[in-house]
Amino acid sequence: MATDIQISIVGSAGDGTIAAGEILRNALAGMGYKVISFDVYPPEIRGFGKCIARMRITTEQAYSLKHKSDVLVSLDDSHAIAHANEVRDCGAVIYEQGSIVRLPEGGHMSAHIGPGQLPYPLPIRELSEKSTGANRSRNIVVLGFIAGLFNLPAEGFRKAIGKKFRNKAAAVEASEAAFKAGLDYAAKTFKLDDVSFGPPVATVVAGATVEMINGNAAIVRGALDAGIDTFFGYPITPATSIMERLASEMPKRGGRLLQTEDEISAISAVIGAGFAGARAATSTSGPGLSLMAEMLGMGVIGEVPAVLFVSQRGGPSTGMPTKTEQSDLHMAVYGGHGDAPRIVIAPTNVDGCYRCAGKAFEMAEAYQTPVIVLIDLYLSNRYETVVFPARPPFEADLNRRPGKQAAGAQYKRYALGGDDISPRAVPGEKGGMHVVTGLEHNELGRPNDSAELHAAMSRKRHEKLKLALNHPDFTKFKRFGDEGPVDVGVMSWGSNFGECLEAMLKARAEGIRCAAMKVVMLSPFPTEGVASFMADCREVLVPELNYQGQFANLLQANIARPVTRLDRVPGEPMKVEEILEEIRRLAGNKAAQKAA
Amino acid sequence: MGDIKPVYLEEKLKEVEESGRLDYRSKTLPTWCPGCGYFSIVEAVAASLCELGIPNENAVVVSGIGCSSRFPFFVNTYGMHTLHGRALPVATGVKTANEALTVVAVGGDGDGFAIGGGHVPHAARRNVDMTYLLFDNGIYGLTKGQTSPTSATGFRTPTSPYENPDRPLNPLLMVLSYGASWVGQAYAGRPDHLKKMITQAMAHRGFSYLHILSPCVTFDKTHRTYQNLGMQVRDLPDDHDPSDRLAAMRYAMDDATPALGLYYREERPTLGDALDGLVEKAGGELPGKPAAKPARKAARR
Amino acid sequence: MTKTKNVRHHVVIGSGVAGSQAAETLREREPDARVTILTLSSLLFYNRYDLPKVFRGHRDWREFLAFPAEYYKDHRIEVRRCSRVAGVDGSRRTIALEHKEEIRFDTLLVASGGRGYIPEELADFRPLMHPFSSYTEAVTAAGVVPERGHVIMLGGDMIGLDLARTLVDTRHRVTLVAGPQTFWPHEVDEDERPGLIAALEKMGVEVVEAADAGGIASIEQGARGLSARRVLFKDGTELYGDVVMPFFGLSPSVEFMLGSGTDIERGLLVNPALRTTGEGIYAAGDVCQIWSDAEKRYRFFYGWKNVRAMGELAARNITGGDEPWVPVQDEKLRIDGQGKLQSPFWEYE
Repeated sequence: MATDIQISIVGSAGDGTIAAGEILRNALAGMGYKVISFDVYPPEIRGFGKCIARMRITTEQAYSLKHKSDVLVSLDDSHAIAHANEVRDCGAVIYEQGSIVRLPEGGHMSAHIGPGQLPYPLPIRELSEKSTGANRSRNIVVLGFIAGLFNLPAEGFRKAIGKKFRNKAAAVEASEAAFKAGLDYAAKTFKLDDVSFGPPVATVVAGATVEMINGNAAIVRGALDAGIDTFFGYPITPATSIMERLASEMPKRGGRLLQTEDEISAISAVIGAGFAGARAATSTSGPGLSLMAEMLGMGVIGEVPAVLFVSQRGGPSTGMPTKTEQSDLHMAVYGGHGDAPRIVIAPTNVDGCYRCAGKAFEMAEAYQTPVIVLIDLYLSNRYETVVFPARPPFEADLNRRPGKQAAGAQYKRYALGGDDISPRAVPGEKGGMHVVTGLEHNELGRPNDSAELHAAMSRKRHEKLKLALNHPDFTKFKRFGDEGPVDVGVMSWGSNFGECLEAMLKARAEGIRCAAMKVVMLSPFPTEGVASFMADCREVLVPELNYQGQFANLLQANIARPVTRLDRVPGEPMKVEEILEEIRRLAGNKAAQKAA
Repeated sequence: MGDIKPVYLEEKLKEVEESGRLDYRSKTLPTWCPGCGYFSIVEAVAASLCELGIPNENAVVVSGIGCSSRFPFFVNTYGMHTLHGRALPVATGVKTANEALTVVAVGGDGDGFAIGGGHVPHAARRNVDMTYLLFDNGIYGLTKGQTSPTSATGFRTPTSPYENPDRPLNPLLMVLSYGASWVGQAYAGRPDHLKKMITQAMAHRGFSYLHILSPCVTFDKTHRTYQNLGMQVRDLPDDHDPSDRLAAMRYAMDDATPALGLYYREERPTLGDALDGLVEKAGGELPGKPAAKPARKAARR
Repeated sequence: MTKTKNVRHHVVIGSGVAGSQAAETLREREPDARVTILTLSSLLFYNRYDLPKVFRGHRDWREFLAFPAEYYKDHRIEVRRCSRVAGVDGSRRTIALEHKEEIRFDTLLVASGGRGYIPEELADFRPLMHPFSSYTEAVTAAGVVPERGHVIMLGGDMIGLDLARTLVDTRHRVTLVAGPQTFWPHEVDEDERPGLIAALEKMGVEVVEAADAGGIASIEQGARGLSARRVLFKDGTELYGDVVMPFFGLSPSVEFMLGSGTDIERGLLVNPALRTTGEGIYAAGDVCQIWSDAEKRYRFFYGWKNVRAMGELAARNITGGDEPWVPVQDEKLRIDGQGKLQSPFWEYE
């Protein structure tokens, strides 16, 4: 029996909501299930802001979360009540049975459980206090209850708990007791819901490792596997964990990481390090990218390799730091002054984060340019089960050809002609001395603002990037669903593609001829391949998480044809049902036309 | 000042050619105004690099934007002519990527203490092993003579047509408090002393800051002229102890008669040392050591 | 339609036959009012009379529900499941739920029914007995009885005997330890009893009169290799079975009404219009004792038809009616043409 269960744990910041989610998904992944998971945090660190740990557990890796959860766990009714209606019919609602304070009418979860849902009141606090002497382990009590109710092997949970609290013997002991209390309570509980786990399927690939990680961690792993030497960054939600993880991992491999005084300094140091021959990167979010725009342009005109991991959040300005959005595409592709082409790639899932991160270093060196890996909060924090290959699929030191020039001749760092990629020497190499400047320059790198030269250099900077469209072992775009002509083609990018794919597959199951395309390479734009897909589509639907339809704008700037936009800014993933509804509507247009 | 001896052109040329320091000058001629104090700085830097025997390809001169920031084009080394205010973080990146390089950041008072002012404290406190040459002419020359953060109060410029209402900053005092491990002051009008100071600064292991007073002969006819500066500057007293930071700060506070010389010096671990320390703490191998680099390269493949 | 502030809130405690019928009638008669059912059950209303089906292999709760979830959505009836009432304050018109939530009501209908009564002397053996008063209890009991297993039924009563019919029909062995409650709630004369017992035996139920054995001494967990349960009588005789199920009639669930300002004897006392002595508080079903002018006493009325009619009448009277209670079913225990027992309480739709 195939498993497809979504569990949401909702609580406030101090309830251990996110920790419970982490343990649960690690336990389930350890059992061999595939997990996709996305947590929601409050913007405040302290206080009682809402936290949601949400995960979908499947036999085969899913592309997105579901609109409805099968199980809702409330660790704090004041937050969870609003989510009661997200539980499907015959799904389970697990909540605190008692209360230590007087509640107004409707202040308890039991008031909000729909007639189709199944209530599981649980003396969570009491069980925690009885088993551990404190109420801190309420989240673990709930995990024990889930393990018992759904008949999941307790050993998997114990392992995950041990991992979570390693080096904290007291916490492990308390968790063990709390877990057992929940488990025992479940044994006495009559199971009513129809949530049930099928057997997991273990993925066996020789030498490969299976891990459940989030997008940021996958970025880190890709960067490490690609041999990142230096990293300069400034903390910003939701990119911070990239830097944090690198800070712990890079020194183990002799790498260097520096927390700079601001994002301007971070990108400046990356450009400096890239100039000096290092594989250098930074990570930031929209506000940081705004600050980096000027130096990014310097990297473009100076043809310096640099990698920027950018995780978008709600904007503009400080916007919604803990909410997801895809509204920095314009800035990533076009941001900054002047004609400043750069490579922008946007993975659509966690596995893609790994690949794009590693490939970004290859491309930055191969095409001597800054490369932006554009993700968003949803992908940064989304956990998926990823199979890592035995050998990292990334190449080192691409296309550095310092000795290409004729002996004795003056070194032309920006030589024109050929494939538009000039030889690149790095400091320390004899005979390659040159100055990288933000001024327009001649082939030697000397300031020169003649019309002919500016035209030639502008052309060079744009044309060389087109080579990236044929970069080896890199998926620029990919088509899913029906082959040949279709009624509806769904096109999207980044984190939102998962929901689009899911919606398209559902539409197909309903008998609608449709296909979906993800576009990973956003700059330079793979016009030819994308256009040929669009030619197959009677209707093109472009769902994305921004108000302006930034990807649709990019699409239409490259390929002139009408598309239907579905632009939403809820701060959270788009609803599959909403996309599906649009597909149905567009597919229905044909029927309407025929009828007319 | 001692006796003034006549200098003959042929003798000077011979001396220069034999010194080898011309190898450190590029074929690009400086674009500065005739009489600009910066000519003597580029000459002094070339001479210092030569004296220290630093291979050209191992030196990187990084600058921001401004008259002084054109500097990298005039020396025969690797160089980066970056953005206004960003010389220090770029230089930090270069040095972090390759500790074998000699990194010199150059820039003006506007570049370093207006737009780039936020970077100075951090380069200083981290003790990035580099030399920062700050050309202070108290004016924005490249944009034709507006006030800078070190312009005198009351100075009249196109952006302060009535008078400059602001107090000037005291960069020396700031850098001393930021924790720079080498702080000195020189004057473009005293080239020999200037060269000596630059050589010392470059030889220092850590963040060395040399404040170089220089006139803008084109846009400042009233304040920081050769005449005025020549009268104002003095030497730091012989008995100044460069390990005494408080004493250094007291001298730095006297901006009416700026004292030239070495204000402060300390030996302490550089940013590179600290980052190597992290590698050791993490149980990693340093890239410089034979076993480490191949291991890292292997990880890439 | 704008929601007015003066919308009345009708609260019904209990989601059984009486409560559910009342809620539906309340909704019909006052389309704008708020109607809320409070129930201990984790399931929506199911028919208790259907529960013997669990021994015919029906274990899915969905099959037992009287109405689908949509019914409650369509009728705008809020059902608060797993909600235990801790107390009712008649003067403030508030209900305190055990989880410390307070609910205000304009009218309250108590239809909390009764729970299986266990005689004092058997109370200690509670953990060794399998009650049969809810869906979960029924499924649990059915789960421990093997195919053609032996059920020891204590007491009897019309709920138990109804189950016994199914058990015999499904080839289980049933031993009834008969006593005063065997024909509850039928009032049976002494001289009628032997004939009725014989009719039971004719139906395939083995009967042991508890009094003949001096009463039950203890109930024990069977030793390894033996049956799961042993019932030991005071005269030293014993019975072995797979499960012991108590059926001693119902005891009204009224403890939460203590202190509410309503009069209670065994059940909630109501006048023929089903009003309690508390203002705005009504009662219906197995929980209430209704004043009978004819018998000059408060008495219980049982049976599915009666209970449903009480629920409807209470709702009518809550919403402006003022009609007296009239029983709608006969209460006579009979022996049919095949010599088998027939109770009007076994009839339901």
